[in-house]
Amino acid sequence: MRTALRQPTALFAVVVVTVVVVVAIAAPLIAPYAPEAKDFTAPLSGPTAAHPLGTDDLGGDLLSQLIHAARTALLVAVGSVVVAMLIGVPLGLVLGYRGGWYDRIGSRGLDIADALPGLMIGFVVIAILGQGMAVLILAIGLVFCMNFARLTRAITLTERNKGYVESARVSGLNAPRILFSQVLPNLAGPLVVQAAVFLGSAIKVEAALSFLGLGLGDEQPSWGGMLGFATQHTADHPEMALAPGIAICVTVLAFSLLGDTINDTLSGSRMRRTKILGRVLLDGDGARSGSADAALPPASAGTDDGPVGPDTGSVEDSAGEPVLAVRHADIVADRPDGGVVRLVHDASLTVRRGEILGLLGESGSGKSMLAKAILGLLPAGVRLAGGAITLNGTELTDRSPAQLAALRGTGMGVVFQNPQANLSPVHTVGRQLTDVVRAHDATISKEAARSRAADLLDLVGVDDPERRLDQYPYQFSGGMAQRVAIAVALVGEPDLLILDEATSALDVTTQAQVLDLVLDLRDRLGMAVVNITHDLGVAAETCDRVTVLLRGEVVETGDVHTVFDHPRHEYTARLIAAHPGVDDDAPGLGTHDQRKVEHA
Amino acid sequence: MNATTTSPLLEVRDLCVDYDVGGALAWRRRALRVVRGISFTIAPGETYGLVGESGSGKSTTGRAILRLADVSAGTITFAGSDIVGLGRTAPLSYRGAVQAVYQDPVGSLNPRHRVGQAVTDALARHGVTDRTERRRRAAAAFEQVGLGTEHLTRLPSELSGGQLQRVAIARALVLSPRLVVCDEAVSALDLSTQAQILDLLRDRQAETGVSYLFITHDLGVVRHIAHQVGVLRAGELVEQGTTSRVLDAPSHEYTKKLLAASLSPHPAGRESRRAARIAARGGVAA
Repeated sequence: MRTALRQPTALFAVVVVTVVVVVAIAAPLIAPYAPEAKDFTAPLSGPTAAHPLGTDDLGGDLLSQLIHAARTALLVAVGSVVVAMLIGVPLGLVLGYRGGWYDRIGSRGLDIADALPGLMIGFVVIAILGQGMAVLILAIGLVFCMNFARLTRAITLTERNKGYVESARVSGLNAPRILFSQVLPNLAGPLVVQAAVFLGSAIKVEAALSFLGLGLGDEQPSWGGMLGFATQHTADHPEMALAPGIAICVTVLAFSLLGDTINDTLSGSRMRRTKILGRVLLDGDGARSGSADAALPPASAGTDDGPVGPDTGSVEDSAGEPVLAVRHADIVADRPDGGVVRLVHDASLTVRRGEILGLLGESGSGKSMLAKAILGLLPAGVRLAGGAITLNGTELTDRSPAQLAALRGTGMGVVFQNPQANLSPVHTVGRQLTDVVRAHDATISKEAARSRAADLLDLVGVDDPERRLDQYPYQFSGGMAQRVAIAVALVGEPDLLILDEATSALDVTTQAQVLDLVLDLRDRLGMAVVNITHDLGVAAETCDRVTVLLRGEVVETGDVHTVFDHPRHEYTARLIAAHPGVDDDAPGLGTHDQRKVEHA
Repeated sequence: MNATTTSPLLEVRDLCVDYDVGGALAWRRRALRVVRGISFTIAPGETYGLVGESGSGKSTTGRAILRLADVSAGTITFAGSDIVGLGRTAPLSYRGAVQAVYQDPVGSLNPRHRVGQAVTDALARHGVTDRTERRRRAAAAFEQVGLGTEHLTRLPSELSGGQLQRVAIARALVLSPRLVVCDEAVSALDLSTQAQILDLLRDRQAETGVSYLFITHDLGVVRHIAHQVGVLRAGELVEQGTTSRVLDAPSHEYTKKLLAASLSPHPAGRESRRAARIAARGGVAA
């Protein structure tokens, strides 16, 4: 909220709303005259020292009326929003939660109510019940209750399918209990925003009704009534319309801006805290404690000449130039307070042609950050603080974004976890593939690009590629969509393919097929592959070498057989022991008890 | 675990579940049968693993047993009484006896409530009127799942995935249920956390004799926790039996295919496995 107040609009909104509220509460103290006091000696005086805003036709002081009218405006606005919420929120909760026929009929009802002009509803209510404060509040409340119902219904519909609601049902909580104690607290934010905006709108509607003489009687001062009175005297006193007009405009505007401010504050703080910082800080804590842990062996396994084989520090000695080499990379996140959080510390790895390197780690280990650093796609606020990344001997770390973008196309390709998210839902697969093909080769003809796209689909094992080119991503199953994503990554004939949990979202049979495809492509095209995964099975089945990450540090690198048979680091050993493998003994308790001892 | 001598706790017979698909208009709607006449039983103190790929109907089966999905045909008998004919709302006694643990530990707890409230709310609903008694039992339930009393007042955003799943298990077990439906209960967890949660579930079972219906796509997890296994494909049980029989000597082609596709956690022999997979696909490499 403090940061929000630095914005001028937010500051304006808060100041104006505060002033209006204070004026309304303290009206009898501030106003120079009582609202009903008449100065019969000076009717329609115009601005004078005694009456700064002038007087009405009976000599009533307009400034005092304006101040007391703030009271009326707030009372009616708050009252009507409360009425609207009391009607709308329970209605929306029931429609959204019950669904089915309730929802279908109720929603049509809401549509019909929406089609009626708001003022018309106000007219009808006042015509039936007569004038007065309570009727006015009810009338305006009815105008807005449908909006609250609609908002509540929409949010309830999404909340209803969340796990905690289902869990509450399984616990035996009844519907009212679930709605009011489980779902309602999650609605609080949007409802507060909506209420702030409608407070402004209610003032507007109240002013309109009073202007038309349908609102409150003459004895009750209101901005709309004052404006109505002023219009009868525009010829001789045009200035009389100014004060109430400005009061209405500024107050309504301030409430709208207040709604925006609350909205920004709520969504902003929630997003920042849980999505980015929470994650980063969590990782960072781990990384720091990890680096402080003296028991951990040095990050680069290449520094000691164990039986681990060719390794990171000794790249130059080993056969073949590496396609990708990461040396002593440090990745940090900048903290708002100026400090930094280490996400990856002193990480080194190499991949050669035709080799599949597994980057193995649990969530928060920094494996995806490392991949993003290689791709030059680090999120805002996260940067490479040290170390070097080379692709085919070319340094990547001092490249401009444009040069990196070109390299991403030809030097390396990437496939992410969610295949459908990798593809644009509104374009055909053929269009997306040919776009990439033509981006790589501007001179290629449309027909040639299409035939190249078909070849690529054929290469990744999509049957009947010509027909499939004209289909949209939603017509592809998860496995097929992931094949298309691989085809897109292969367009530039990259030397390096990065798979970031590329098969984690797939079913086992599909996963095996896609992994076999990767193995097959590696055999045929001789690419270097970095396979980032949390799944020991994926690493064991496909990788030639494995690099294990723990809390941002490389704890072990080596040949896949060596790592699995003789893990050198205690963490790797624990991971392998924890895997509930298909080849384990049937619920035999051996491994179970053993693990319990380790966790104790 | 002696399924033959005890009467089953849960008996599912010829269960069918339909989903409405199509437009909002009544005459455009049609029923899509997602569970097609499956039958199985779970004995007291036993874990039944229901495996299958996405869309096979395994979660729908769990939801039908929890009375969250409407049953189109067939019967579900729990502790000798029919629960399909219970009508729209299940009686509280059934809600207390059958609980659930879900995949997403974050989503299954109300983000605005302190996690201890998930447990005390359930107790309050099931007749524990005394507030101190509810607190005491919640603290005891937390202790049983390896959490401390200091965790009771945390918000879900302050706990790790594994800790949240422990809260969900505490909520499920605090009512002393006889059956817990675990729907992919460890799939979203890191490997080392996964093993701890599986161990926790087995420990609780050994102590209380609770039965589990363990729904998962992961054959490794099933091997680790289930006594009986059913393999579901496109809404039909293609094979079921004891875990060792189904996983070591599968009789159905689909089970064999699933097992062949499951990745071994060890690289030994992977070339021959790859060759076998390619051969099973008719010689196509991928």
